[in-house]
Amino acid sequence: MLRKGITESFGAAIHALNTNQLTDGVINRSKRMILDTLGVGLLGTRTAVFNKALVYSQLFTSEERSSVWGRSDITLPPHYAAFVNGVAVHSMDFDDTWHPATHPSGAVLPALLALAETLPSQPSGLDLLLAFNVGIEVQGRLMRFSREAYNIPERFHPPSVVGVMGSAAASAKLLGLSPAECSHALAIAASSAGAPLANAATQTKPLHIGNAARRGLEAAQLAQIGLEGNPAILDMDSGFGVYYKDYSPSAMPHPFCSGFKWILEDQNVAVKRIPAHLGMHWVVDAALAARGKLENTVGNFDLSQIRHITLRVPPSKYVNCPLPATEHQARHSFQFNACSALLDNKVTVASFNEAQINRPALKELLSKVQVETPKDNQPSFDKMYCEVEIETDQGQIFAARCNTFYGHWRKPLSHRDLVEKFSVNASSVLSTKGVEGVIDVIGNIESVSECSILGSYLRMTSSPHKQLYSTRVW
Amino acid sequence: MISTLQKSIRPMWAVRGLHKSAIEVLKRPAPEDTVTASFGKFISEIKPQHLSSLVLYRSKRMVLDSIGVGLIGSTTDVFELALQHCQHMYALDDISSVYGRRGTRLSPTLAAFVNGVATHSMDFDDTWHPATHPSGAVLPAVLALSDMMPANSKPSGLDFLLAFNIGIEIQGRLMRFSNEAHNIPKRFHPPTVVGTMGSAAACARLLSLNHSQCSHALAIAASLSGAPMANAATQSKPLHIGNAARLGLEAALLASRGLEASPLVLDAVAGVAGFNAFYEDYVPQPLESPSDDGHVFLLEEQDMGFKRFPAHLGMHWVADAAASVHKLLVGVGPGTISPAQVQDIQLRVPKSKYINRPFPESEHEARHSFQFNACSALLDGEVTVQSFTPAAMSRPELLTLLSRVCVEHPHDNLANFNRMYGEVQVTLVGGDILKGRCDTFYGHWRNPLTNESLRKKFRNNAGVVLPSEKVERLIDVVEELDRIGDCRALLSQLQ
Repeated sequence: MLRKGITESFGAAIHALNTNQLTDGVINRSKRMILDTLGVGLLGTRTAVFNKALVYSQLFTSEERSSVWGRSDITLPPHYAAFVNGVAVHSMDFDDTWHPATHPSGAVLPALLALAETLPSQPSGLDLLLAFNVGIEVQGRLMRFSREAYNIPERFHPPSVVGVMGSAAASAKLLGLSPAECSHALAIAASSAGAPLANAATQTKPLHIGNAARRGLEAAQLAQIGLEGNPAILDMDSGFGVYYKDYSPSAMPHPFCSGFKWILEDQNVAVKRIPAHLGMHWVVDAALAARGKLENTVGNFDLSQIRHITLRVPPSKYVNCPLPATEHQARHSFQFNACSALLDNKVTVASFNEAQINRPALKELLSKVQVETPKDNQPSFDKMYCEVEIETDQGQIFAARCNTFYGHWRKPLSHRDLVEKFSVNASSVLSTKGVEGVIDVIGNIESVSECSILGSYLRMTSSPHKQLYSTRVW
Repeated sequence: MISTLQKSIRPMWAVRGLHKSAIEVLKRPAPEDTVTASFGKFISEIKPQHLSSLVLYRSKRMVLDSIGVGLIGSTTDVFELALQHCQHMYALDDISSVYGRRGTRLSPTLAAFVNGVATHSMDFDDTWHPATHPSGAVLPAVLALSDMMPANSKPSGLDFLLAFNIGIEIQGRLMRFSNEAHNIPKRFHPPTVVGTMGSAAACARLLSLNHSQCSHALAIAASLSGAPMANAATQSKPLHIGNAARLGLEAALLASRGLEASPLVLDAVAGVAGFNAFYEDYVPQPLESPSDDGHVFLLEEQDMGFKRFPAHLGMHWVADAAASVHKLLVGVGPGTISPAQVQDIQLRVPKSKYINRPFPESEHEARHSFQFNACSALLDGEVTVQSFTPAAMSRPELLTLLSRVCVEHPHDNLANFNRMYGEVQVTLVGGDILKGRCDTFYGHWRNPLTNESLRKKFRNNAGVVLPSEKVERLIDVVEELDRIGDCRALLSQLQ
């Protein structure tokens, strides 16, 4: 059944949205997302997967060049800059998560920054902020077209489905395309969507975000030179609908109508404290609480006291991994994250090192874990909970439950903690001047006249000898 | 009392719990036993001597047709657009040739992209059963990669042909994993699902990756697969093949640098979709390791369909049926058909939304319109490359005929390239009824083009952009391909 006009409405809205529509709430939230994404991306440039993407990307030559975050010495063709920076953002699963589930920012920001560097007249900070929000908004709208999108995914990895569409929309916005061109950008991008979930928890997962950024940008540029796709791509089941089992699209209201409201205004993102799948945050908070109870009662915490650990989590195969062998698997393992929390009383970036993963003490603890999936625990980031129950040799039980972890949209990170996360991440690569510069620029982005200043801070790396200490951290 | 009871029960739970995680590990198949691993092994282990003479013969015909179709495709708007895009975004990179453009070379993946776009730009390329366009996704990638390889280690013609056949074979094997794949597609455009995988397999082989890297190439490619049917019959469709070629090559290159992905991508794991994300029903089978006895390639059992004119395969049935009616009409009266003679036209075709278009508005739509192709053949006696020019498309006589068409979907006409038929029934103003039916068009795998016809098509296509000496040399080189020591003999003739 052909429902007319939905794709058209998206094209019209992308074209028409202007800086006047940005509310304080949306500006505040999206600035936080941009800062967090940059920090996570900068840290991610130290990973093996980033390095592979970079080496590969250096095969290509071009006249226009865009920056690689955290590198003063390397530039790449714009598409590949978007690609590698996107890979960096998702390389450690440390980037933001939304509801319905996707990682919205990593698919959009790298594309926009790479594109901005090539434009003959530099966009202002507000232009960048607007385009970014267009990219986020389109993703949010698309996910609301199906019930399937509201649960933890099973088939396609959401960033590969909606992320490329968001990148196309944002890039189309920054390029100032006509409404028809914006629609075609979406149509062309749709043919680049959809990667299977099986590659999550592998080294290839970060490429899903990198590719979303790159191919969305490409779609917008192809639309700019006149390539056309199906003008009803969002309307049709055989269009964007192929990625969902149930699909019920609706038009995007025109921004000038009083009914228009940014989705980000109503639904905030979650910012991660741990570089792991979002579900891990619940189990970690619960494990830390249970551990605390044990320590308070028993006194000195001794691992050998633990006889048995029960985890009560929502059913989700790809994050149920009893004995992870790689860092990627570890980031997608309820068991690993619970046990790391119990062992170390914290879970940090360093917890996912090869050495840490292979610790005998950790493996021993892992062998004591049993996972249950209670019927009332729904695989939805809005509804799930995690329970950790420790049983000691003496037969004592210490249990704790986490409904909402700190960082979730219901309990957002304070401004201080958000900036702190950024600083720690960015400092692994940038000099103090660079770190503070980025914080400053993003904090005042509405008044920045040329966003190229952001790029220059992103290239202010710390002196080589400081970086030498850990050329490959993970 | 109850609490002590509970305490005594718990230790049993604890014991089960102790072993449950270990059992979980055991339940997972050993890495070597997976379907994914079997594919990786096949790609790295199959040898040139496993190519039978029939497979060599059939695949060389595919290579020739694909090149010809790509060469004429280099004259299209969509090709020009894709080429310009690549040249604007990236500097001239003197590595891989672009079809039909003397002196133009691009980075390997970009060359694979534009040559793939060219190949599918007019919907003139080969079609297989189950349905996909296998060669366009593979050949441009293998050519581009061959250009990239160092001068002192270029593949021989036989290596080249083997890689090509691996790319075809993998596509065929993957399509047999689901019943859905056997019918005219509705959801994902098949070249974007299996084509990318075929390209990755062919390139992995040419790069001499080990079996683990070959598996990872496939898994990386899976994350680059899948485009919706809605973009068929639009200007974006040719990019589906272009991207399949390019991204498969990219997957193989990334795998060669050590990138890893899911080792279970082809296996069906409940709750975590791999390649089965693209299908409603999916039953994977491992590929047997090629033994000394050999391996029977699918191409041996299932030949390829080649098109006689640049339109969706389904159009060939109605065109042949309409052409036979045209012959009857021309026999009756003067040499040309006048729409005034025709009262109405009934088409009996399988049900398939994306090729049912009463009034196509672009060449892309026209290539995907039962009505348009039937009426063109009725009017002219045949459908050719010229039938899709703006002038031909806007002829008043044609538009008149189109307005008299009605389409029926008989229950016995299945939307399946192995089973469908096309019927054209014309009722003349006088009351006479003329009927034409085609069960197997000339060019279908049941009624393959002769070598004569295939070469004629190639000469018509290639001759549009290449001088006749190069055209003839290409025919000779492809004919000799399995005996040539250095594939540069082929690479040097494409522009």
